[in-house]
Formats: sequence, structure tokens, C-alpha cells
Amino acid sequence: MVDTLLSGQLLFAALVSGSLYALVALGLNLVYGTLRLLNIAHGDLVMIGAYVAFWLFTLLAVPPVVALVVAAVLCAVLGWAVYAGLFRRMLAKPALARRVEANSLILFYGISVILQNSAALAFTASPRAYRWLDTVITWGGVSMTLNRLLTLGVAAGLCLGVLAFLRFHLFGWGLRAVIQRREAAQVVGVNIERVQLATICAGFAVAGMAGVLVSMTEQITPFMGFPFTIVAFVVIIVGGLGNIGAGVLAGFALGLVETYGIALTSAGYRSILIYGIFVAVLMVRPEGLFTRAVRT
Amino acid sequence: MKRRTTLAGIALGALMAVAPLGTAWAADPIRIGYAIARTGIFAAAAPSQENPYALWQEQVNAAGGMELPGGERRPVEFVSYDDQSNPANTVRIYERLITQDKVDLLAAPWGTPMHLALAPVLQRYKFPMVGNTAASVQLRKVAPGYIWFVTSAIPDSMGAEMAAMLKANGMKSVAVLANELPYAQEFRSFLLPALKEQGIEVLVDQSYPPDAKDMTSLLVEVKGKSPDAVLALTYPADAFLFTGQARELGLASPFVLSLIGPTIDAYRKAFGGAADGIVSSAHWSGQSDMWPRGKAFFDAYVAKFGEEPDALDSAVTWMSMEILQQAVAKAGLDHEKLREAIATGTFDTINGPVKFDGVQNAMTPTGFVQIQNGKIELVWPPAIKTADFKPKQGW
Repeated sequence: MVDTLLSGQLLFAALVSGSLYALVALGLNLVYGTLRLLNIAHGDLVMIGAYVAFWLFTLLAVPPVVALVVAAVLCAVLGWAVYAGLFRRMLAKPALARRVEANSLILFYGISVILQNSAALAFTASPRAYRWLDTVITWGGVSMTLNRLLTLGVAAGLCLGVLAFLRFHLFGWGLRAVIQRREAAQVVGVNIERVQLATICAGFAVAGMAGVLVSMTEQITPFMGFPFTIVAFVVIIVGGLGNIGAGVLAGFALGLVETYGIALTSAGYRSILIYGIFVAVLMVRPEGLFTRAVRT
Repeated sequence: MKRRTTLAGIALGALMAVAPLGTAWAADPIRIGYAIARTGIFAAAAPSQENPYALWQEQVNAAGGMELPGGERRPVEFVSYDDQSNPANTVRIYERLITQDKVDLLAAPWGTPMHLALAPVLQRYKFPMVGNTAASVQLRKVAPGYIWFVTSAIPDSMGAEMAAMLKANGMKSVAVLANELPYAQEFRSFLLPALKEQGIEVLVDQSYPPDAKDMTSLLVEVKGKSPDAVLALTYPADAFLFTGQARELGLASPFVLSLIGPTIDAYRKAFGGAADGIVSSAHWSGQSDMWPRGKAFFDAYVAKFGEEPDALDSAVTWMSMEILQQAVAKAGLDHEKLREAIATGTFDTINGPVKFDGVQNAMTPTGFVQIQNGKIELVWPPAIKTADFKPKQGW
């Protein structure tokens, strides 16, 4: 039992799922933080990324690493379209902006239904899958499928990259300023609209890239997105809404809790553990578990 | 008025031009209604049923239509709706199909809960329907009348057959990993006593939630116990998870079952040769020489959809339409005569002869398939097998 817990195998598994949780949640958190939009369609962007990877690979033999870029661009364009078409005017008018959080939930629900059904019409709902980079290597006694190792590398790299950008780049400072004190940021000259547009594009792009990673190991269907939406909300609420660094930490924490929690108890407790923590955090620290501990 | 007469004239002319070709297209189509999950949680599974419907319609119409007593043929037309994976919608839609759309026949929706919800509606309107994609011991409790169930993949007989198959292949110990969803749990509840009866030791018995994203810790435990057989009672989504991670860990058991999932075309595309040796639930194989109609169905399906039919859902769907077609040819569209014909007849299907005893298919044996060289081969029971079970050789 102790051997199992200390084995690198569990750590690897936990880090792979944790990095994916963190990445999926990152996009949602960015969009919520700067625009106060509850993007219920977030998981459907993961689905779009997965289909991009599948079709590029199946029809054109384009490897998923290239699909990462294509999916990011495509989802960023979608983000731009959603922002320009739906939210720019709402966010500009104070009266509408106050209600935008609640309204966005319904709007994005509609977008989610449209995306799912468009995908079902375009590609049929039949599950899809492909094989790429599925060699298993063993390193230090830990067996790793290469595409899972790549998932860990890309997801963790992207999370760290975004965090570094927020910390060290001027635009990143502006973005954090918008998250923390929107009006004050405006007063000191941050171009709110530009930050919002860039953030929604980045948030959508990150979700699309997560979809490419997911597509390497899961079946792809038009309705695969919703569980990712749920996971992303759990992660950002546990971490702290709008707190980007805390969200990333919470994503990894969730991966660890899932894998080690199951190892210590039983698989049947998985949901109880995760949602138990979720509810406990909401009751005890509604501002999020890591809000003070981590500064972005 | 004049314009309408002209149009009618053109239509009549067109009909007369077609009529000498010997088709019966002038006849009213036979309208067949169904609802299916095009959206919602079951939507990804439903194409394995809706595709056979489309293929069946195409073939029947190409042959001049559905045959009625006396040899008359009428084209078939589907009237279909999305039930959004909600059994309450299924009930409303079938009531609408019967009372407002006034369809001539009904085809089945996707899924056990839908079939169960529909049984009383069919009873009330005395409208016969051959079910297909439903499998549960609950079905046995449905009062015989206007619904029948084609599948023999019912958990109680599956539990006994799985234990017998393990015994026959010399497996002495197993690990059971079961999804918490109903079909897997039902199977588990019949499997465990059957294993005990056969003297097979259960080393691990764990259930996991359907939204599990990582099974590593479970599989590490299983690997540590080195069971002869790993029985993963999966649904399609976690079949991918289980297989990918079992492969990563190099699970060495010679017998690996993944309950639902491996017969889906995408599963073999995802795992290729690594899926070879995986055992799954189905009682039909396109590879069988016993049922000549089966190979024709398999080839036509691949030609039309570019993927293989699901050996479970697509097969039972096709069987249900074969049964309906043969019953209509004998009894016509009158509901009572049709009910009588389905309830008492013996039908020639891609899975061999089918005859109903009450609501159940009394002829087709419960079976298991194994992926061998990328093909779905029936390996159990011996009477219908297309290949011998082969121990899984690595991943």
C-alpha cells in the first residue's frame, strides 16, 4: 500500500490529470476574471479543439502538435466573434454590464447548445478517435504513454507560460489590474476593451488547446465538453474565482486528490471527495482555498 | 386552377414515365415513426442505431419498398424526432407519432430507460413495436403485449455465461472493476454469485463513478494482485480510459473484458493492435458464416458509413427491422394482426432465427466477442463461435 502511494506511477497519473484540469480551468478563469462572464460553453471549446485535432490527423495526417496551433487560432477567432457580436456593447453600458454575469450564463448556455448541435450535424454524433504517439516508455520504474507525457508537458508549460506572462509582461499587469480593480485600472489608463478582447481570445484558445491534448486519449463526441465545464468550475471556485495562479494550483490539487484519494479509500469515493472539498471550500473559504497563499 | 391542373398533369406524366419501370412509387409510403437521442447524454451512442435505420430504409426502397401480404410493395418513410436523451420526451413523442402523425409503424428509441418508459404507451394504444437497444433484467418484468426485446445480452444470463467462459478457459481468479451506472452494476450483481458458483476467486471488487478521469490507482492495485482475468464493466467513455491506462501499466492478465465500448469502431481506431485480445459483450459478429445475411449487412454498412457496425447496438437494431419487415409481409399493417405475427412467428435475422417467448428473444444465445487482428470474433458460446478465445498477448 505504502509502496503504491510512493510510486512515481501515481504521481505521474495525478500530474497528467491535474495539469489538464489546471489548463481547462485557466481559460475559464481568465474569461471570468476580466469579463465577469460565466462561460458554460467552455467545455464545448475543448470539444472543438478535439475535433480539430481529429480531422487534421485523420484527413491530412497533421500531427496534434500542429493542431494545437490551429485549434488555438480557431477558438481565439470564436472568442473574438462572441465578444464583438454579443458582449462588447453589453459590457460598455453600465446598466447592462451589471447584469452581464447572470445574462452570460444563459447566453453561453445557448452558445453551448448551438456548438454541440452544430458539431453533431457536421460530424454526426458517432464517437471518433485516432492513434498518435502511444508508445509506452518506462523511466525510473514509471510507465508513461508518450502522448500522456506530452499532455503533461504542454499543459503545465502553457499554465506556467500564462502565469509568467501575467507576472512579468506589462500587458499581463494590465490584465491583472482589470481583474482586481476594474475601475481603478481604467483610471490609470488600461485599455479595458483591449484587455477584455485579448483575454477572451486567450481563454478560448487555451480551451481549444486542451481539447487537442484530450483528443489523444479520449473518445471524441459532440457532447464530450460538459464534464470539462463542470471540472473547470469546480477548480476555479476551489482556487478562487478570477485568481489565475490559485486556479492553476487548484487544478493540480484536484488531480492529486483524485488519484491519491482513490488509492487511499476506494474509487467509489472519487466524486464524494472532489465535491466534498468543493462544498467545504464554499462553506469555509468562499473566496477560494489559495487566494491569499498565491499572488499572481 | 388552371395552373394546378397543369402541375397535376406534369406530375401524372412523371408518374406514368416511372410506372413502366416496375416500381411501386406511386403507392403511399409506409410511415415509420421513432424518437432517438440526437442530443444529450446518450447522443454519442445513438448513431449506432440510427445508421442501421437509414441503411435499412435505403435497401428496402431500392428493392421496391416494404412487402405487404399479397406481394404489394410500398416505399418506407421515417418520421423521427430528437428525444434529447430524456425518457419523458420519448413518451410524449411516441404519443404524438401515434395520435397526430398517425404513423403506420413504430421503430424503437435508443436505450433501456426509453424502452421501459414506452412499454405502457404501446400497451395503451395497442401499437406493436419491436425493441432493440435495451438490455436489463427489468425488461423481463414488462408485461408481454406490444413490445419485444431482441437482445440476449441480459445481465443475468451474461453473468452465468461469463463465469462459464472463464472456467472453460482455465481462469481461476478475477479482478472486477465496475462502472457505477446501472447496466454494469446489474451485470456485476449476477456475475459475482456466478463466479462463486464456478469456484473462481474474486481478488478485487471495486466500483468507480462514470465521470472517473483516472484509473491508475485502481489498476496498480489490480496489477499487484496478478489476477488471471480483469473484468472491467465499462461504458464507452471509461472503456477508453481503462484500456489506455491498462496498456500504460502493462496489465499482464491473459483475459481482459471491457463490457461496453470495444465493439464501437472508434475504439479500435484509438488502440489498434493494443486492443487485440480484449473481450466484450455482443452476440453477433459480421465474421460469422452461420448467418449469411450478417456479412451482407456488415459490408453494406461499411460501404455506406465508412466504419464498422457496432456488433451489439447496430446488430440488434438491424434484427428488429428484419423482424418488423417479415411480420408486416405476413400480417400487413393491422396492429392486432401484426402483434400476433410478431408474438408467434419465427424470423430469419443476421443473428440466426429469432422467436419470442413473452417479451424476450428465446433463440439467440448470450455471447461474448473478442477483438482478434482488429476484427470482432464471437468466442462464446461454443455453438456460435467464429474463433477460439485467445489469451491476451501484451498490449
